[in-house]
Amino acid sequence: MTHAVAAPTLKMGIPIPNAKLGMWLFLGTEIMFFTAFIGTYIVMRMGSLGWPTDTHVTHINIALGGTNTFVLILSSYFVVVSHDALLTNQYSKAWKFMLATLVLGFVFLGIKGVEYAGKIQHDILPGHIPENNRQAMDKVINQFGVLVDQRLAASYPKETKREDQKAALDARIKTLTEKSGKSAAEDKELAEASALSKLNSEYVSLKEHVRADLSLAVPFAKFDDIRKEENARSKYAPVTLDEVNGEVEKLVKDPEMGPLASGLTPAHPILYGNLFASNYFLMTGFHAIHVIIGLFMFILVLMKGSRLCVDDAILVENIGLYWHFVDLVWIFLFPLLYII
Amino acid sequence: MSDHEHHESHGAAYFRVFIALCVFTAISVAADLVHLPNKIMLGAIVLAVAVAKALCVMMFFMHLKFERAWKYLLLAPTIIIAAALPVALRPDIGETYYTPDVQQLRDYPEHEASLHDSSAAHH
Repeated sequence: MTHAVAAPTLKMGIPIPNAKLGMWLFLGTEIMFFTAFIGTYIVMRMGSLGWPTDTHVTHINIALGGTNTFVLILSSYFVVVSHDALLTNQYSKAWKFMLATLVLGFVFLGIKGVEYAGKIQHDILPGHIPENNRQAMDKVINQFGVLVDQRLAASYPKETKREDQKAALDARIKTLTEKSGKSAAEDKELAEASALSKLNSEYVSLKEHVRADLSLAVPFAKFDDIRKEENARSKYAPVTLDEVNGEVEKLVKDPEMGPLASGLTPAHPILYGNLFASNYFLMTGFHAIHVIIGLFMFILVLMKGSRLCVDDAILVENIGLYWHFVDLVWIFLFPLLYII
Repeated sequence: MSDHEHHESHGAAYFRVFIALCVFTAISVAADLVHLPNKIMLGAIVLAVAVAKALCVMMFFMHLKFERAWKYLLLAPTIIIAAALPVALRPDIGETYYTPDVQQLRDYPEHEASLHDSSAAHH
């Protein structure tokens, strides 16, 4: 202190401002909060017989993760420069570096958003990932059902039930067939309606094959007879994922049904994929929430504008401590989630 | 406070730390790109680099190098508790919680084979 000329007297407590002590105590709890997730991840991964690490499967993007690591490190550096500038009375420099930190925080969230969008696009979400062939086949059928529903609803928006839509489709095909060859527009509609009807039949057939666990080589028309047979299970080959995926790929390429079947994708099992996705989203999600909170604090300081002065040094130091901690967490998440 | 008025800029030191952090990040990415022969080696390298980076950030950016002994009082308990969690869970969940015979694994022929191998080894 400036007024303390004599040797300092005995002072109780920790020799730092209360606010800083509070921030460090909070960061102590934060260390435990994040290591609980990191520890859980390590233990789950060790307890699993496998783990999806192929980036083509997990859609983990090391380049984006590495870029984000750099962005956070740079932003951490900018915070210390900002704090340093405050202490040396360069207030406008401090403000500018704080603004740069804020921008980098948004860049981090933007890159994170791109990564999340990729995960969502490939359905790498907890609970959505098939872990064996059976689940993969079910997923294809589910996806196919949703697609057929969408196509039927788009053609017959007035009907709400699938049976009604199907009946309306059949009736329309019948009408159009009777007067075919008279108008080009109606012939085109007939072709589209027939394609949709065919796609629906393909869906029903594929679904029943998977449900009955019978190879696609067994014709759907024979199913009623097969159900009456004794020991049918031992006589016919079971359906395989390759057959189902092959059928999907064939439908998408089909000149007639292809346009309607677009969006349908084969499914492949990812062993422990759900555990992986849960851990990934839990850790990166909580980290992203911390980033967002940090951005609010930066905005708080930036709003002081030209009033920013040396009295704010402790505030900026505390926000900086918090931000460095957010950076620290990412320093560990990056190798754990993206590299190992 | 006096240290505000007579504060000297640490800008150059901070910049050196920043460069060190960038180099460490590049090492992590390079370790992944060269496809090391085993995963344990890769894990050891990248985690060692992460610890080095964490120390850089904590010592210089968070000023812990220049703080007094209170830092140990405050940080040691949390770090001990944090480290205790995985250590405590490992013998339980990390090794025995997941029985190998679960739905997720049943369709995997290579896993089936490994089950037979291990049961054969027991007999």
